[in-house]
Amino acid sequence: MTTLSEHSIYTAGQPSVQSAGKLPSVEYGLIRAHVFASLVTLVISVLFGLLVATKFTFPEFLGGHGWLTWGRLRYNHTQGIFFGWLGNAFLAFFYYAVPRLANRPVLSRKLGWSLFSIWNFAVVLPGWVLVAAGFSQPLEWAEFPLVVAAFVVLAFILMAFEFVLPFLNARLSDLYVSGWYIIGGIVFTMLAYPVGNLVPWLVPGARGAAFSGLWIHDAVGLYVTPFAVAIAYYVIPATTRRPISSHFLSMVGFWLLFFVYPLNGTHHYVYSAIPMAAQKGAIVASAYQGMDVILVVTNLLLSLPGSSGTASKDVPLRFVWFGVVSYLVVSLQGSVQAFMPVNRFIHFTDFVIGHSHLAMIGFASFIALGGIAHLWQRIPGTRYNERMMNWSFWLLAVGLTLMVTDLTIAGLVEAQVWQSSAPWIDSVRAVESYWLVRTLSGLPILAGFVLFWISLVTGPRLSEAIVSETSRVASEDKAAFEDGSAASHEFSLTGWLSHAHVIAFGAGVGFFALSFLVLAILPGKELADEIKRVAPVTMPTLTASEQRGRVIYGREGCAYCHTQQIRSLAADVRRFGAPTEAWETKYDYPQLWGTRRIGPDLSREFNIRPRDWQLTHLYNPRFVVRDSVMPPYPWFFSGSANQPTQEALDLLAYLQSLGRARELSGFERQALVPSVQPVTPDMAMPREASARATPPTVPIAMTGGYSDSAPVLHPASNPGDLQEEVSRGGTLFAANCASCHGAAGRGDGKASSSLLPKPANLTAARFSDERLSSVLWNGVVGTAMPPWRQLPAEDLRALVAYVHSLHLPAAAPATQEVASLEVGKALFAAACGSCHGGTGAVNGPVAGTLTPPPTNFHLKQPTEERAWEVLENGVPGTAMPPWKSQLGESERHALVAYVRSLYDTPQEGPRQ
Amino acid sequence: MINLIVIVISAIMFGLLLVWWRWPAFRAWIEAPKYFMLRQERRFDDQLKG
Repeated sequence: MTTLSEHSIYTAGQPSVQSAGKLPSVEYGLIRAHVFASLVTLVISVLFGLLVATKFTFPEFLGGHGWLTWGRLRYNHTQGIFFGWLGNAFLAFFYYAVPRLANRPVLSRKLGWSLFSIWNFAVVLPGWVLVAAGFSQPLEWAEFPLVVAAFVVLAFILMAFEFVLPFLNARLSDLYVSGWYIIGGIVFTMLAYPVGNLVPWLVPGARGAAFSGLWIHDAVGLYVTPFAVAIAYYVIPATTRRPISSHFLSMVGFWLLFFVYPLNGTHHYVYSAIPMAAQKGAIVASAYQGMDVILVVTNLLLSLPGSSGTASKDVPLRFVWFGVVSYLVVSLQGSVQAFMPVNRFIHFTDFVIGHSHLAMIGFASFIALGGIAHLWQRIPGTRYNERMMNWSFWLLAVGLTLMVTDLTIAGLVEAQVWQSSAPWIDSVRAVESYWLVRTLSGLPILAGFVLFWISLVTGPRLSEAIVSETSRVASEDKAAFEDGSAASHEFSLTGWLSHAHVIAFGAGVGFFALSFLVLAILPGKELADEIKRVAPVTMPTLTASEQRGRVIYGREGCAYCHTQQIRSLAADVRRFGAPTEAWETKYDYPQLWGTRRIGPDLSREFNIRPRDWQLTHLYNPRFVVRDSVMPPYPWFFSGSANQPTQEALDLLAYLQSLGRARELSGFERQALVPSVQPVTPDMAMPREASARATPPTVPIAMTGGYSDSAPVLHPASNPGDLQEEVSRGGTLFAANCASCHGAAGRGDGKASSSLLPKPANLTAARFSDERLSSVLWNGVVGTAMPPWRQLPAEDLRALVAYVHSLHLPAAAPATQEVASLEVGKALFAAACGSCHGGTGAVNGPVAGTLTPPPTNFHLKQPTEERAWEVLENGVPGTAMPPWKSQLGESERHALVAYVRSLYDTPQEGPRQ
Repeated sequence: MINLIVIVISAIMFGLLLVWWRWPAFRAWIEAPKYFMLRQERRFDDQLKG
């Protein structure tokens, strides 16, 4: 059977310049191939995204394998959407639209199939496999490894030949705005992509981040947006059969977009170490970009009046209309997000993730789907199933609306918690339900995409129905055609100005160079000077193990949940320490600043937590933090947290190097002095409400190693109030302490097997209020016990009350114990005094050198069983040795009696 | 930086509006592609139908 696709009119091999009566050939085979590739990769990419979202609620889900871990799936999700879905969809549209817009065929069918093969089998597929196998780069929107990036660049060069060259001889008076966007998008992305991928490997830290910021925005602004807008500008008039409202405005929008979009880049790093002039320039450009989008969308929507019937009946047009409205919303949202008063609050939160999904699904994907459906109805041999397509639209619209609304609210909730002094994990707990809703909202989105695919393959096979009823609207303004045709000859440009591709290429290079000059090169020079001036002379580089750990950190996507960038904001400084300075990142190739916080910032991780805590946390984060959503990394271990592989040790070494240079050089302490000049007005440190225990000059993240004088927290004396405190303390204990201390406080939590020294058995000792307050306030240096001073004072008091309740009242001392006290005292002074002090007050000559410090028996009274056990076996992980072989049974009994008798008696010397 | 961006964009916008106001033929010229695009659509549709 002969189909229209085989008809000579539509086959390749036509003369490159068509006579007025002939039409250029259209590569329908390539259109179909790219459409199917786009939908296959779309469904796979959405499945990746669904797994990523599911892991927020069920972090252990498919968590046993490296290739299925959150970070790698997340890389593949975004790169799959970027290259697989949108790339193929755009290419399909180019093959449909370029011959119409240029009145010439694309350059070559062979070239087209080469491009198809490279795009899918040298970029998307190997990119996914390599990322899953652990070969990637931690650069946002550039996660595929460099070897794949090289093929992306090659593909864009081929695209320039395939799609830009047909416009070579096009008259400017014939070049419709969609053609401009196609040319501009290809040219600009061809220039920006290699720089965004390569420069951060060559320029370190803050300087590299300035370039990264450009590409993060250029990926959306120079690749996604121009091609999606090209489709919108094409589908609307082609469906309504009426010209767009104003081609002049469309061209103003085009040039404004390409001028201001690249200048937006640094708005991803507001309040960072990048020079403020560059940040503010990016913010102003963001405002202009919002105005530009208002202009573009107004023009597009003004092209629709009188076509409401068409828009409601024609599903492709409805997809495009939804995309255009989303474009307006998401762009204005983006502009507002860049403004400092908003940015300081919502940056790093799920608000931005909602924004991204509105951009990539609501705007780009809806328009791409509209474009595909539009062309599918107009190419020979293919039609869509309208009912399915309609269902697809509504499922996607409902799912996306739910997802974006949910993430937006989640972001505001996270931001609210981050502004407070509450523990970081509270922000995770606060949005757990929102993450579940987000995952559920992904289901109708996935169903919508699958139905779209089904609608394409189950449509009626009508070779005779070339133009759909809705597209055959009798509103063609034929008189306008004639007017426009005639007018185009009255005004013309001559010379090189008459060639669209020359103008676009020249402007592309110019705008590209301008954005890199003002947002990356000049700020980079300023940063380099600052680093030279400020950096410590002996700033240590990373060891080989730390360097390997850094690669693992990047490979596993750690930077997508943890920033290494403390912003010049009071909330950041209060929580994490002094703002990150450029010199701290001078060895970071590439920078790992990150643009999202699900976990806390890690740039001051040096000396914060002990080795065993870190390893246990890597093995399974919920072993030490019950409500953590961090992925487990069991493949870094040989079966248990006690058996780390070299990879775990390397990653640990890297984590423990973060902030080392700053700490060793004394910068951290200087910056915490209240008299330090604020970097911005926001840096004026606010006074905390007295309800919060945290002093403003001590970062919340700083855990362990403190010996501040703690406020003594006494539980309520009234029995009713005490009962209430114990009850609340139990809830707090279960949420924050049970992972290590066990549900009943016996020191047998999930983490206990891999922590050394083991968590305290809180049932085996009686503690004074002073001791419990001190531990909760300062943590216990040399152990995994962190300080909890960030909790409100009433919570700390409730915990004290609850821990008291865990201890059963001891029976009255036996007579023989009283008799042996004097013996015990003498033994204690001789055998234990050097550490515990002669009177058990930890004032022995070596007490100050031991971590963890020896027990102060005036503040802690072990049970007889516990004291006996310690004397028998010692305390592994501390300086306390076993005394079984050195002391007889009666002597040990005497010691047990003596140390227990010290509790709550006056002590001499410094208290611990 | 801010001044540079504001001045350049303002200059471009002002220049475009000036051209638009001063040369009426420019208006017809710059609007022509939207008719060309529709003409092309009609040609392709007619070919496919015919």
